[in-house]
Amino acid sequence: MAAPTVEKVQEIREVTRIERIGAHSHIRGLGLDDALEARNVSQGMVGQLEARRAAGIILEMIKEGKIAGRAVLIAGHPGTGKTAIAMGMAQALGTDTPFTSIAGSEIFSLEMSKTEALTQAFRKSIGVRIKEETEIIEGEVVEIQIDRPATGTGAKVGKLTLKTTEMETIYDLGQKMIESLTQEKVQAGDIITIDKATGKITKLGRSFTRARDYDAMGAQTRFVQCPEGELQKRKEVVHTVTLHEIDVINSRTQGFLALFSGDTGEIKSEVREQINGKVAEWREEGKAEIVPGVLFIDEVHMLDIECFSFLNRALESDMAPILIMATNRGITRIRGTHYQSPHGIPIDLLDRLLIISTVPYEEKEIKQILKIRCEEEDVEMSDDALTVLTRIGMETSLRYAIQLITTANLVARKRKATEVDVDDIKRVYSLFLDESRSTQFLKEYQQEFMFNEMATETMETS
Amino acid sequence: MASMWVENLRKAQKTCLVQNGRRKIHFTLTDGTELAEEYDLRNDELVVRKWRRKGTIGGIGKWEFEVGEELMIRNLESEGLVENSSNPIFTRKDTKTAFQWRVRNLPYPKETYIVGIDEGQQHISIRTTNKKYYKKFDIPDMNRIQLALEQENLSFAYANNTLIVSYQKPEPILELEKLLQEEFRNMKASKDGDVDCTPS
Repeated sequence: MAAPTVEKVQEIREVTRIERIGAHSHIRGLGLDDALEARNVSQGMVGQLEARRAAGIILEMIKEGKIAGRAVLIAGHPGTGKTAIAMGMAQALGTDTPFTSIAGSEIFSLEMSKTEALTQAFRKSIGVRIKEETEIIEGEVVEIQIDRPATGTGAKVGKLTLKTTEMETIYDLGQKMIESLTQEKVQAGDIITIDKATGKITKLGRSFTRARDYDAMGAQTRFVQCPEGELQKRKEVVHTVTLHEIDVINSRTQGFLALFSGDTGEIKSEVREQINGKVAEWREEGKAEIVPGVLFIDEVHMLDIECFSFLNRALESDMAPILIMATNRGITRIRGTHYQSPHGIPIDLLDRLLIISTVPYEEKEIKQILKIRCEEEDVEMSDDALTVLTRIGMETSLRYAIQLITTANLVARKRKATEVDVDDIKRVYSLFLDESRSTQFLKEYQQEFMFNEMATETMETS
Repeated sequence: MASMWVENLRKAQKTCLVQNGRRKIHFTLTDGTELAEEYDLRNDELVVRKWRRKGTIGGIGKWEFEVGEELMIRNLESEGLVENSSNPIFTRKDTKTAFQWRVRNLPYPKETYIVGIDEGQQHISIRTTNKKYYKKFDIPDMNRIQLALEQENLSFAYANNTLIVSYQKPEPILELEKLLQEEFRNMKASKDGDVDCTPS
């Protein structure tokens, strides 16, 4: 009896949840209370109280928006929640504050110089809140019709009928618009606005005329009046654009199309200077407001000495965002030099940083994290299995233990059980090696692998 | 008031070109806005008038048609959404003596339409009793010289699925247009295809 209902519940979740489950998708904030004290388990965050409290203080600084060009380093062992803290900060900041996340190795590209990539990342993290008149379409959805071609492949065709109290219009939909309409789950009876320039769809609520429909709707459903007058109107909207977007729009004639294709190339420094001047002018006139955001560079030890000296300089600018970096390295070589330095970062840059360190998780915390991940991945697990998994997490690594959740769930499902048991854990533990067992294995069977025919002492690994 | 608009146009950078039986004039106004007009050579009627304004955060905008219609086929993929071809199409097409708007693809009988001037005397509105079509628009020519709209100048007709709304041009407008035409005729227009390219 239980099995089909569980399946059904899963089916429903599949319909409502389009986003995929990532490594940090369970994180919804930093889990702090109003006094900035870290709650032990909250918003998907567990443990690391000190680090989270520190991050909370940084967050306050960002929200005030006065201080420019501060840098924070989150340092800690692998798998101690560095990226999780950064993600939590991004979530806590909300959607209006620009948050750019890059990995240290991302800036090495053949098409762009390192400093250009960094500058773009910097400018993506500074928002400008500005009033702009745009053309919007606002109306009640009468009908939305999306047809798949009969052959199953090819472009979908879509039609959308919108109305106001005075008129009705049918629109043909492009591919991108169909996608975003499905993503927003727009249906007949919704009142929506579509920004013509950006294609952004906002759901305002449901029409009053539909209030009687006994549809499944949440408590948060808002009822609004059907708009009046014309469907298309010009409206002043306040929105946040990043400096990088302004750069791109002004850097070439075909403007913002480049933003969609992602092919922005290098932007001339004259354009940037001109934009900076313009923005300063708008600020003085009270037309615009600067929203300093956050640039998060993960695996920062992958940057080389040139990047670090560029960062030193860039942080001095009053247009600089808050820079958050994360690294899991101890004292190591600075890339591009022969010098050793803590975290692989030169001392002069380290001197400008506030350093937050994360500590290894305790057993209790690991258990809690595994529990949260089980929920996130829709896996039911018996208490015994969770205890075993926690032990595995303690002895190997948290990441490995998290990997075992889904795999164990698949094993459990194959034997038609709804709950993951100790045996399932044992089975996947024997099937998949963790890093230390794999190393052990390699040490024993090194001789059997390729290119070991000649007896050399060790492999060159640098 | 009329002089201010004329003055604006005089100050603007102008390029004139005669092509396909039309006098095409391109203005770049002092604030960077572009204005392009096309006049029929035979009767000096205005065929196209379009504007291109600068966006708030820079970049070049699209041409906005005040008179005439855009003939370029719009691409569904790059636009995201485009009005279906069965929808009414609203264009302005002036005659010598009247401002005129045509709404094509309107299948409803004549009694359906209510055309009037709203209280502020600034806008003309087309309503339908079946709530299928609504349009509110102003006459930029009248706004530019700050004239109020009068109900008695307004009339409309309906035939062949098309609603035609006309507004009789008042005297000041006629005078202004005459003045501008004189100016345009004195402009040196480069003819299409007469570029001197003889090798020396």
